[in-house]
Amino acid sequence: MNLLEFGVQTWVTVGIVAGIFAGSALLIGALIIIVSKVFKVDVDEKVTKILENLAGANCGGCGCSGCSGFASKLASGEGNLSDCHVTSPEKKAEIAALLGIELKDEERTVAVVKCHGGEENCAEKFEYKGNPTCASCATLLGGNKMCSYACLGCGDCKAVCPENAVEINGKLSEVDPDKCISCGSCISACPKNIIERIPASAPVYVACSSKCRGKEVTSACKVGCIACGLCAKNCPQNAITMRDNLPVIDYTKCTGCLTCVAKCPRKIIIKRDVASAQDKEVAAQAE
Amino acid sequence: MGTVISIILAAVLTNNFITVKTYGICPFLGVSKKTQSAVGMGIAVTIVMALAVLITYPVYEYIMVAFDANGNEIYNFQFLEIIFFIFIIASLVQMLEKIIQKISPSLYNTMGIYLPLITTNCAVLGVTELVIGDMSQFLNGATMNLGWAVLYALFAGLGFTLVMIIMSGMRERLNYYKTPKALAGFPTAMITASFICMAFMVFTYITI
Repeated sequence: MNLLEFGVQTWVTVGIVAGIFAGSALLIGALIIIVSKVFKVDVDEKVTKILENLAGANCGGCGCSGCSGFASKLASGEGNLSDCHVTSPEKKAEIAALLGIELKDEERTVAVVKCHGGEENCAEKFEYKGNPTCASCATLLGGNKMCSYACLGCGDCKAVCPENAVEINGKLSEVDPDKCISCGSCISACPKNIIERIPASAPVYVACSSKCRGKEVTSACKVGCIACGLCAKNCPQNAITMRDNLPVIDYTKCTGCLTCVAKCPRKIIIKRDVASAQDKEVAAQAE
Repeated sequence: MGTVISIILAAVLTNNFITVKTYGICPFLGVSKKTQSAVGMGIAVTIVMALAVLITYPVYEYIMVAFDANGNEIYNFQFLEIIFFIFIIASLVQMLEKIIQKISPSLYNTMGIYLPLITTNCAVLGVTELVIGDMSQFLNGATMNLGWAVLYALFAGLGFTLVMIIMSGMRERLNYYKTPKALAGFPTAMITASFICMAFMVFTYITI
């Protein structure tokens, strides 16, 4: 088609349309500029810089809603840089320099299942025959265990673990600390929220998550913590405090004297195999 | 009153944007994994729909065409509607995002992140196109005006939100069940969507 066949009228229309578009584009552009000037939000430059240095995994392992939430928390001075387990140490050093704080030497952490209510210790409320996932089981009366804080043992944590570090033994999951990379997948997958991070060198941990009082615990579980507080009273370092009917161990103070393990009437504070893990490393190096 | 009920029924059930008109399928399948985000998306779409119609309808009716005293057209650029509407909606969403971010950061965190996604969403463009077309079947005898147009847009958005919530609820529940490996995830969502659409066919012949 030859464009010249169009009459003058057509070209006038095209010109007017082009004019209208140019005019309205200018008008709307000006409006947007005015609005963005009036409603300008001051973004802290620190936050964007921190965000650039974070890993950007948006895993939520730090407890914030994504990396941007963590970055603003860090910028305001509330957050703890070691809460992020994904960002590499070099990037963390840059962030620490930005914030003007010293980067503490961080210890490797591992996940532990804070429950020992397996088949033999904690009875079942009813026989569960539904889908073999913890998430599905937990929607029925909070799961089929007598204790409402118990491991359901259906293996949601095992299914999500990228390192195959989780084993299910007798309806109770256990994390192999040598394989665990502390990614937090199992922590977010567990519907009962009983998996927690502890330092890899921690000599002891509390293998119970029950926030119930002693009487209720004894009726549900043979080994659950009864909140007697003997561990907190006898700890020579005062590293243990009682919170929500559970002992909380401050690992910065803990020296590994194992007094709490000896004093616990329910044997629910468990000694970890730390020494043997170190021995294994030594043995591996020797090989 | 009859017109109001007729418009609400048409917008929410008989002519639901997702299930009957198949507009806005991208957010329907993309943002329906969790109920919380589905609700946020639905509210964002509803607000943008109502605001877009509130602006595009008068622009189309009174600015893009003009008459002299004898009723003759001076000029008429109504044939440029689509490109103009995209123009208006895109800039409107841009401004809305900025304003929300300034006025209410908490609202911005729940809803604002979906606003850039719906800049030229087909549901939003669709409703602005629909209300300038032939709406006589929904109006129950009344004459079309700006009020009816905005009412229709508002309830079309609420109908959109309704289907989003139904879909996300079903998808959340489906996560608890073991599906065949070939159908796990998105294929199951497509099957779910088809069943929801079939269920909404029930409302097709409701009239006032």
